This record gives sequence, structure tokens and C-alpha cells, in this order.
Amino acid sequence: MFTSWQQDVSMTRHTVSRRAFLHTVSAAAFASGTLSFRDVVTVRADDLKKQGRAMILLWMQGGPSQLETFDPKPGTENGGETKAIDTAVPGIQIAHTWTETAKVMNDLAIIRSMTNKEGQHDRATYQLHTGYIPAGSVRHPGLGSNIARELSAGPQEIPSVVGIGQNRQGTVGAGFLGVDYEPFQVNDPNRMPDNVVTGTNEARFNRRLGLLGKLETEFAQRGGETVVENHRRLYDKASKLVLSPKTKAFDLSQEPASLRSEYGDNEFGRGCLLARRLIESGVTFVEVRHGNWDTHQDNFENTTRLSGQVDPGFAALIRDLKTRGLLDTTLVAWMGEFGRTPKVNPRGGRDHYPRVFNAVLAGGGVKGGQVIGASTKDGSAVDHDPVEVPDLFCSICHSLGVNPAKENMSPLGRPMKIVDGGKVVDKLFA
Amino acid sequence: MQRLSWHLAVIGMMVAGNGIGEAAAKKTGVAPTAASVAESVDRLIRSEIDASKIDIAPRCADEDFLRRVSFDIAGRPPLPQQVTLFGLNPDSQKRAAVIDQLLASPDFGRNWGGYYRDVIFMNATNQQLRGGQSVFEEWIAEQLNTNKPWDEIVTALLTATGDIREHGETALFLAHQSQPAEVAAESCRIFLGIQIQCANCHDHPSDVWKRQQFHELAAYFPRTALRPVTENGMQRSFEVVSVNMDNRRGGGGGPEQIRENPERVMAMMDRNRDEKLSKVEAENGPGGQFARIFERLLEVGDSNKDGMLSVEEMKKLPDPQMQRRGSSEYFMPDLKDPSSRGTQINPKFFVDQTTPATELPDMERRTAAAKAFTNPENPWFARAIINRLWHEMLGEGFYMPVDDLGPTRTARFPEVLDELASGFIANKYDVKWLVKTIALTDTYQRAVRSKSASAPELPFASQTPTHLRADQLFNALVTVLGVDDRAPGMGPGMMAGPFAAARSPRNQFHTIFSHDPSTPQEDILGNVQQALFMMNTPQFRGAVSATGNNRLGQIVRKYNDDQDAIAEVYLLALSREPSDQEIKVCQTYLKDTGNRTEAYEDILWSLLNSSEFLAKR
Repeated sequence: MFTSWQQDVSMTRHTVSRRAFLHTVSAAAFASGTLSFRDVVTVRADDLKKQGRAMILLWMQGGPSQLETFDPKPGTENGGETKAIDTAVPGIQIAHTWTETAKVMNDLAIIRSMTNKEGQHDRATYQLHTGYIPAGSVRHPGLGSNIARELSAGPQEIPSVVGIGQNRQGTVGAGFLGVDYEPFQVNDPNRMPDNVVTGTNEARFNRRLGLLGKLETEFAQRGGETVVENHRRLYDKASKLVLSPKTKAFDLSQEPASLRSEYGDNEFGRGCLLARRLIESGVTFVEVRHGNWDTHQDNFENTTRLSGQVDPGFAALIRDLKTRGLLDTTLVAWMGEFGRTPKVNPRGGRDHYPRVFNAVLAGGGVKGGQVIGASTKDGSAVDHDPVEVPDLFCSICHSLGVNPAKENMSPLGRPMKIVDGGKVVDKLFA
Repeated sequence: MQRLSWHLAVIGMMVAGNGIGEAAAKKTGVAPTAASVAESVDRLIRSEIDASKIDIAPRCADEDFLRRVSFDIAGRPPLPQQVTLFGLNPDSQKRAAVIDQLLASPDFGRNWGGYYRDVIFMNATNQQLRGGQSVFEEWIAEQLNTNKPWDEIVTALLTATGDIREHGETALFLAHQSQPAEVAAESCRIFLGIQIQCANCHDHPSDVWKRQQFHELAAYFPRTALRPVTENGMQRSFEVVSVNMDNRRGGGGGPEQIRENPERVMAMMDRNRDEKLSKVEAENGPGGQFARIFERLLEVGDSNKDGMLSVEEMKKLPDPQMQRRGSSEYFMPDLKDPSSRGTQINPKFFVDQTTPATELPDMERRTAAAKAFTNPENPWFARAIINRLWHEMLGEGFYMPVDDLGPTRTARFPEVLDELASGFIANKYDVKWLVKTIALTDTYQRAVRSKSASAPELPFASQTPTHLRADQLFNALVTVLGVDDRAPGMGPGMMAGPFAAARSPRNQFHTIFSHDPSTPQEDILGNVQQALFMMNTPQFRGAVSATGNNRLGQIVRKYNDDQDAIAEVYLLALSREPSDQEIKVCQTYLKDTGNRTEAYEDILWSLLNSSEFLAKR
């Protein structure tokens, strides 16, 4: 297509929205005759196709045990007391605590051959969110911010990247992509997000904004023009959010009680329901966090409890998205920062184990009802089809129609690919 | 564009004038005063700007100067009465006097300590360990307030040991878990302004540093470790320690040593001479270290699953999965074979090519690094902090971004930087001297002016409005609203102990409003969460109410004349008098609203939400 606008490298400080960019380019190109009508239409069609694509990340903070989730080894020494149950797909078994999720197996693809080297929470969390290992000199953008930047259609009333639940590890934000793609945090899905509700009535809030606008002119004249202009844009965005009917998306009380109970009466379930509402309202990326899966002690009791919290919400989310026709365009990923040692330690726990872990993908064009790769009998290694972090990230990009090799410019002028290396796991989409 | 300028810079580079100033200072042997250096700095800047026929902005108004210099030195705005008194003071030396006063206040150390805390910890590769930052903050504030020379401060940071609860100087090792490559990269970026870590993986495409040189820098730090401190069976803290024990000479060390000399290990431990090591043999071996890791070695290395290790199996032991802890030398990874151990590298300082003796113990090695960093002949050490402080105070640096100096970058006004560097070195790295010199310049004291996009001007012809850092903004709110700094955090379920500090209003505010101070000003745009906080936070509601016994309530009750009341609100929020136009806007608003109390609440709300409140002007 057109090299003039298909630039692979774009600057970090790009403030032009995708839509505005398209308008500018097409108008200018029309005028100069370099872009034909057909090209513009193709451009638009391409853009439209991507629109509506979204992702929900179910983040299992602490490193969920593969053996107690989607790669059980019943009857072996390493498998411990965890049993396996049948799922809706003959031949695929998962851990016995995941009864609801077992029913939606037709839509899930389990990867049992994830493998990595980072065995430390913070570093691995960073890597599984950005695709890169941490470096002091560069703050890599989180996957959500990268995706939002590629997919979201210009300025919106509500933010394009949202994180739900307490962040126990350090936050992975937009990195060098800047504040436009910084995740919007919702600490408690049961309440409206912090400071979205004004302390005054709407009329007075508007009146105040009007006064603010008038008083800003002085500083603009006194040399603060640029600062004032940036500030105005930010306040436009924030006040739009405050006044937008779309903030209702954050309000779970609008959902029928039956559906709310199907998602599970706990924070994670409510987070999943909120995620679906946000995706419906045009949010591109939502992360729902759950933890703490760091089961160094009493692994079996703890994972039973944790699985019980996640299982209903995960299954209900898949069903609900499907019923609403959103599953085809919404990729759901379930994962944590690493797996856990196959061998049970003396405290009945499992320790960090990045060498083998699992992840689950659903929707977004992923072929459900299958298992990719396997761990060895004792669970200590990947048996076949190893999937590394960049491979997983390439596959996520593929599902969303994002080019993983696209380069963004870091502040030091060093181009950084969205994903460095890796290849799409073809079987996911076969 | 940045990339392009790199390439251009490479073609004709060589730092102009480096070292000339230093040489001059050494000859005379007299340390120049802040005032004299400020004067030469102004002369140099003025002549270059005049030559390019650009208008120089006028000297800023007293009220603007007082607010600016209070934020820059003490991290807080002046009180309303101070603004008024300063304006009325006829003394022609009053600006210099206020600079000295502010430098003598303990807020000076707190302000710049907070700055360096953010510089170090916002780039921490282990965010979990940021808990140690309050200890660092106290430590650095004290260093700065007692005016410890900068070379001594940096030496302390590079040679730190001890429990992180008591030794704030362990910050860098804490923030990067003592990983040699990260510590080297960050020390170099922060204290020398050189981004040598780009050479971590490859020879830098547009820089003079080679990959080997980066790893030679990292080789100063492999013997420093961050270890958990356990008390009564619970992990309480971390400590930075030197690890000088050379495992290779001991009997049966980690997997690396076993793999290197399996025959020796076998000879030492194989009691029954069956050419296999069993668990019992491992437990009876010398030291006991081998026994501790035997289970794990079996897990990864026992390929025939007989529960014992043979020499062949030991040879094939994989590398440990985690970082190479405990290895006392530094190895440069082999890019073609990342799982191999790589090449052993000895320390060598990339700037002057000096090498300390090989196999030095940790402390001698790090002391050698500190010497090389702070050597007055090292042009980057003085320039890095000058560039940072100047950038923070004027909104633009000689080098941009602020932590990207080096021989291939082009400085703006390099001779000004030389002048400041030679004065700073002659004054024995006196940080207060440096801040004072900058604050005394006419360049610093110019009025703000918007930069015109169409006619890019030389920097320093006018001041640049900048975003206040989170700490400064919070201090302003404390001043204006009387927000309590020390109140316990809001909400139930607060944890006691060291984490309580993290839940303080200041820290919560910091979480929302902080930015990495190494970011160029034009990249700091604020975000929606910040705007929402300023607009709607329930925390402020009581304080912006005009009916309570708070600052606003007092003003509204005390001044019946609206002109006076409006002026007081402006002095409180923005440290200046309102213009006639602003008074008119506010009066009209009062009239239209028809409710005096509500109207004043709205006026204060608007001022707190204005860009000027968030900015240093």
C-alpha cells in the first residue's frame, strides 16, 4: 500500500489520534493527488475491521500453579492431591476445582508449554506485561497500552486502557508511549472509580469549568500558552469522562442480579463483569487482577480457594461475551507471571517455576477446544511445542490484527518493536 | 528526528572546549564565587543570543521570582505575606538574600532529596523494593543540608553496604537488586549522564562506546549482593553485602563449579567409588553446601533418573535459571549462545581507560569505581549534575534529554557548561554553590515566554514554565488548603509499620502525580487521573469550602471588599496579585452567581485546577 503513511516508525510524542491522522492524510493526499479514492477506502476498511477488537487479560498475580489449574497430573508424585475432571471437550481434562470453566472448554485454547527464565515476581510480571525484560533505561509500554495505541479510534469519553483490582506488583503502564495510553485504575469494581463523581451538581460543575476557562487566559498571555493548551485538552478529556453517560459502564448495579451471581459474588467475578461492560462501551484493553497465587505454603488448600474465586467469573465472562456476539472480536487471556515447581516442598507448597507454566486464550479468532504443547510426565520440562513469551505476544497481536514488528520510538530515539522476536503459534488459529 | 540528530552529531563530533575551564581554575587555585560565575554565564549566554538577533525576555517580576526560587530551592511556594513583603522590600540585593535564606532551610535537602529519590527509584527494576526509598530520602536530604560535596555523596552511593532500613545510601543496589549490569547502567546514566547501557547488547550504532566497555563497567559490581535479613524466622529487611568468597577454590560450590571440575568433586565425595554421587555421599561431603543443592541438581541433571549424579551428568548441568548470584566475577553474555556462561570481564573505566588490579575484593573494586566516576578529570561527572540542576530550574538543559550527554551529543552553549563545571570543581563539588550560582543568573531570573513553534529560538532567552513535581505540588496544597501532611491514610484496613508511610496522604498523592524527573518537560502532559483528583477528590472538599474555619473561610469573612478578598485568594493559590482583568472576571462571576460563599469556593476551585497552579512560572 502507501509507504507515505504506512510508516513503521512513529514518534512517541504523537498527539494526533488515529482518526485525525487518517483525516489529515487522506485530505492532504487527495489534494496532492498521491492517494486515490480506492486507497482511502482500503485504509478505512482496514481501520474499521480493527475497530471493535479488544482484549481482556485475566491476570493471576503471584504465579498460578499449572498443576492445580490447566495441567493437572493426578496420580503422580508431583501431581499431589489435585484431581482432574473432564471438560466439554472429550480428552481434555483440567484440575477438579474448575467445574464451570470445564463447561466452556469448547471456546478455550490451553497452552501447557509456556516456558521462560524469569523466576522473580516483579521482573516476570514486567516481562509478561511488556514482552521485554526490565531495563533501568527504558520503560517499555505494557501490552494494553500498545494495543490501545494501535486499535483505539481517537479520543474517547472513557479511557482506552483500564486496570481492575489492586496492584500488588509495580504497575506496568504506558511506558514511553506516554500518558494518553496510561491505564485507568479501578481499585474496587463494586464502586465507581475514584474521583469520577463530582462533589457538586452538574450545573455548578459546568459553571466552574467555565470560570476556569476564563481565568486560564491570563497565564496563557503571560507566557504559559503551551502549558495552558495542554492543560485544557486534559481537562476536556477528564470533564467529558465525569459528565459522560458512558461512566455508567462502571456501574455494576445496572446488571441483573442473576447475571451478577453467575459471575460470582467476589471481587474477581465483579471485575470480569465490569470488564465486559467496559469492552461494550468501547474500551480496548481491560486487565482484571486476581491474587495472591504465590502458594509457597499449603498449595492445595490455597489454590482450591483461589480457583473457586476465579472459576465462575472466567466461565461466565466467556459465555456472556459469546451470547452478546463479542467473543469473536474480544480476546480473553488467562495467565500469571510464571508457574510453580512440580515438586511439592516440605511446607506443602510449590515454589517459583518459570520453566513450565500454562496460559489460556479464548475468543478473538482463537480456535477453542484444544491444548497446545505439553509438559513432561513429571511436569519438570516442556515436552513439545514450547511457547515463549514473545511467541505468546505475537499470537495476541495476531488475534487483534496488530503488527508485532511495528516499531515505536523510545525517548532515546531507539526504535522498539511492539514484540521483539517470537512467532505466532499457528495452531491457535488453525 | 532525534535519531537523525544522532547521526549528524556523530559525523562532526568532538566536545568543544572540554577541560579548558578546569585547567584555568587549577592554574589560579582560587575558587570563583557564585556571583562571579553567574556573571560570566550571563555574559556568554547574552552574547550568543544577541548575535542571533533574538529578543531576550525581561527580568521577571518579584512575585514570580519568589515563587519560582522557593519551589526550586525549598520545594514549596512562599506564604502570601512573604510575597507582599518581598515586593515591598526596597533592597536591591533582596533576590540574592532570599536565595541564601532558602539554601539554609532544611527544605532545601528535602526538595532535592525528593528529586534524586524519584530519579533513582522511578527507574527501579524491582518496584517491590521501593519501600526503601523513604530511608534514602532522609539520608540524601541530610547530605544535601549539611552540604556534603557531591563526589562524597556519589562515593557513598557506589560503595554502600548495610541494612536498607539504616543505610539510605544503599538505594541503587536496592532498586536494582544488586544486578551488576543494572547498577552500572543506572550509575552511569544518573551520575555521568551517559547512556552506555545501549551497548549492553551490541556496539552502539551511533556512539563511541563499545559493548565490551559497558561490561567492563559492570565488572566493578559483581561482588555486591542484596540479601534478605531475617529476624526470628521472618524476613524483615534487606542488606547490601560484599561477597568476596571465591567459590571456585572451595570444595563443591554451585552448579558452575561442579560443571567445571566434576572429576574433582567426584574424587572428593564419592566414598564408595562407584563413580556416582548419592544423596548420602553428598550429605557427608565437606562444607554441606553441596548437600543443600543436591536435590535440585538431581532434578535438573539426573538424566538417567537413578537418583545419583555421574561425572557425565555433572558436566551437562544446565546453568542456573536465575541470575548468576554468588559468582564473584563478571561474565559478558555470549550473544550467540545466551545459555552459556559468557566471557569473564575485568573492570575498566570507559572514560579514561583506567583499570584497577584484577580479582580485587568488592569494596576495593567499588572504591575504584567511585574514584573513576568522581575524578575531576572525568568531564562527565560535573556536567551531569550541572545539566540536571540547570534543567530542573530552567526547564531546559544544555543537553537534552537531561541524562544523555557524551562525546557524540551536542551541547547547547557548551562554553557556559564549561564555565559552570570549572567553578563547581574549583568549589569542591559544592552543591549549594551550584544551586546558588544558577539562581543568581539573569538567565534564571528572566520572565516566562511561550516558545513559538514557527520560529524556534535559542534556549535560555526566556524562562520556560515547567510542571511542578508531585512533592512540590503537595507542598503547595499543604500551604494553600492546610491539608494535613502527617494525617494517617484514609480508609480502613491500613497496615501499621513501615508500610504505613506508603499510605500517607503525601505518598498517595505522589503515586498519582509523580513523573520521572529525567523526562523532558514537553513529554510531561499530566493524565486524566490527576485531573480527576484535582477536580473531584473528597479530600479537598472541606478545604475549599468557604464556610468552615479554613483559609478560604477566613478570607471570605475577613474581607468584605471583594477586590481585597479576590486578591487574597490569588496570593494564597498563586502567590501573586490578580490582574485587573482577573478581578473583573471574578467580580462578574460573583454577581452572576448571586451567592458569595459559593462563588469564592468556585474561584478557589478554578485556581487550584488551573495550569498555573500546577506549573512553575
